Amino acid sequence: MSVSPLTLKQWQRFKSIKRGYYAALAMAGLLAMSCGAELLVNNRALIVSYEGRLFFPTYGAFLPGTTFGLGYDYETNYRELRTVFAESGAGWVLMPPIPFNAFENDLRESAYPPYPPSVATRHFLGTDTTGRDVVARLVYGFRIAIGFSLVLLLCNYVIGVAVGCAMGFWGGAFDLFFQRVIEVWSNVPFLYVIMIVASIMVPTFWTLTLVMVLFGWMSMTWYMRTSTYKEKARDYVMAARALGASSTRIVARHILPNTVSVIVTFIPFSIASGITALTALDYLGFGLLPPTPSWGDLLSQGTANLDSPWIVTSVVSAMIVILLMVTYIGEAVREAFDPKRFTYYE
Amino acid sequence: MATFRFEAIDRRDGDVTSYFIRRLLLIIPTFLGVSLLVFTLTRLVPGGPIERMLNEAAMAPQPGAQVVNTGGKGGSVLSKEQLAQLEAYYGFDKPIFVSYVGWLSRVVRLDLGTSTRYSEPVWDIIQSRFPISIFYGVVTLILTYGVCIPLGVVKAIRHRTLFDSVSSALVFIGYAIPGYVVGIGLLTAFAWKLDWFPLGGFVSDDFDDLSPNERIRDIVNHAVLPVLSYVAGSFAVTTLLMKNSLMDNLAADYVRTAIAKGMTFRRAVFKHAFRNSLVPIATSFGGNISLILTGSFLIEKIFDIDGFGLLGFESLVERDYPVVMGILVISSLLFMIGNILSDLCVAIVDPRVKFGSGEAG
Repeated sequence: MSVSPLTLKQWQRFKSIKRGYYAALAMAGLLAMSCGAELLVNNRALIVSYEGRLFFPTYGAFLPGTTFGLGYDYETNYRELRTVFAESGAGWVLMPPIPFNAFENDLRESAYPPYPPSVATRHFLGTDTTGRDVVARLVYGFRIAIGFSLVLLLCNYVIGVAVGCAMGFWGGAFDLFFQRVIEVWSNVPFLYVIMIVASIMVPTFWTLTLVMVLFGWMSMTWYMRTSTYKEKARDYVMAARALGASSTRIVARHILPNTVSVIVTFIPFSIASGITALTALDYLGFGLLPPTPSWGDLLSQGTANLDSPWIVTSVVSAMIVILLMVTYIGEAVREAFDPKRFTYYE
Repeated sequence: MATFRFEAIDRRDGDVTSYFIRRLLLIIPTFLGVSLLVFTLTRLVPGGPIERMLNEAAMAPQPGAQVVNTGGKGGSVLSKEQLAQLEAYYGFDKPIFVSYVGWLSRVVRLDLGTSTRYSEPVWDIIQSRFPISIFYGVVTLILTYGVCIPLGVVKAIRHRTLFDSVSSALVFIGYAIPGYVVGIGLLTAFAWKLDWFPLGGFVSDDFDDLSPNERIRDIVNHAVLPVLSYVAGSFAVTTLLMKNSLMDNLAADYVRTAIAKGMTFRRAVFKHAFRNSLVPIATSFGGNISLILTGSFLIEKIFDIDGFGLLGFESLVERDYPVVMGILVISSLLFMIGNILSDLCVAIVDPRVKFGSGEAG
């Protein structure tokens, strides 16, 4: 695939905006890490060595305790196994840096959760009100939120680009019809209707996405319509038509590549708003069902338990960091694609 | 997700008056569509008011209450006749469309029905929440415009100075982080940790015993944090909008002409560029009307402010559908009127904007 000089220039401009560039690198790192979150934050061991054999329990079916000579048939508790092995010397266990998963209630006999942060117990940011590790909840919650945002983005943009492009290109009755549809549809009080729908349906990942797409496709459609409209009036389209290009070819080969900048500049902001919306719904209790790890759930636990400030502090800081990063990226992308320089006096 | 608005200029047919008349008329189908959609949804689901009452009765039977076991599912506490009566009372015995028409005809006569939770007229409940929401809305509005417009002007004139970058950074953080997260952060830091402000509510419990001066202090004390979280997000958008549009105008030919003809820079800014720069600000003005009245579910919930937003949230949780529908009616009407007002503001501020002219960007 050849890269056009323009794309190269945009990329270089993007790289030259340090804040956005480093935010993008960090974000890519976080995404990669969250894909392999099971290797970093998990209650399953990375490697177990027992009787001369190596086990890699992270992925795949669970290994019952009997595998390692423990007296139970349910899944091995690797943290206990580690202490058992340390005493008996029958093998060794390598645990991930944070040896808890997001659903596990780490309860103690001496105290009630939430437990404060402690390096000794490996709850680096403490636990929530039911004894689940905050780091684990944050990491897996991030993965779900970003996945949700990306799926939402894809659906919204596919619909938006298709319908918007058709509106701009065909114009006429089709355009007028969808204009009215969008006009009506965008006058819906967005959050409230989503809350109503979510409170009524049993919200799963996909139904929630569906509802959000149902009310979120208009904005991209509108932007695409405007920019297709502008591109269609340009000379190169007329030239292509004069050369005998079909409508499909004009749209796919000529107009779409020229509207890419519109699409790209909106992506980071759409991701940020996807994360924000899901967290808000979760916070209000209309989002994904518990015990799904989610930032909104942590937020509501945190605000309800301000005397355990580590919950609120962790999740608010996490949100600030992620959203700032995404917005930095968005700002840099926008500037890279829109080199307009303001002139000024004095 | 940010509410999506039309670009007011992007209109094709008719002159301004007929355009606005058409917009006003469009409220009707929109309203019908939205209300029918939500009404149907509220009917299709389990967990309506009757089930809620049954559950409550089953959970905590009142002393002396006769428990009638109908032999139905799970031993209902009501007889079949009572159930039928209840269903008739709530209008659940009729098909959806019939009861929707019934509901609609009452709404047209300004009767929003009776709350199933409070057994009071919905309108009275909603009305009682308005003063609080309006208070926060107006304060936020004044602060936003009072700070953002001057700040935007200064930032545009002092573009790329230290002041510009520092204020940009601050404003930017406010933009990236949604208001409710700001609210939670402020609450934790200043109300819980430092104990400078109360944890929530609109006034203190002993409000009635306070002297007038103390009352004002009390309200202000309670209002600081919520207002900050309301304002945090809108600051960035309005300030940057002001700055960018002023800078666009400063670079325009007519300002250059004015300066070339010997006008001072200050006069050129305030006499010429400033007014034109207000156009984009005006597009967002109408949106404030729904913000003023409806507030934000999230911020009101965080600070436990008994306003319109919290009412909407609570009625959803309690499945108090008459109130849910009532709030939907009012907020969607306000939202639509706000959008139209925005366009009207644009037409007033900028007489060049023709809603009949062709496709502009």
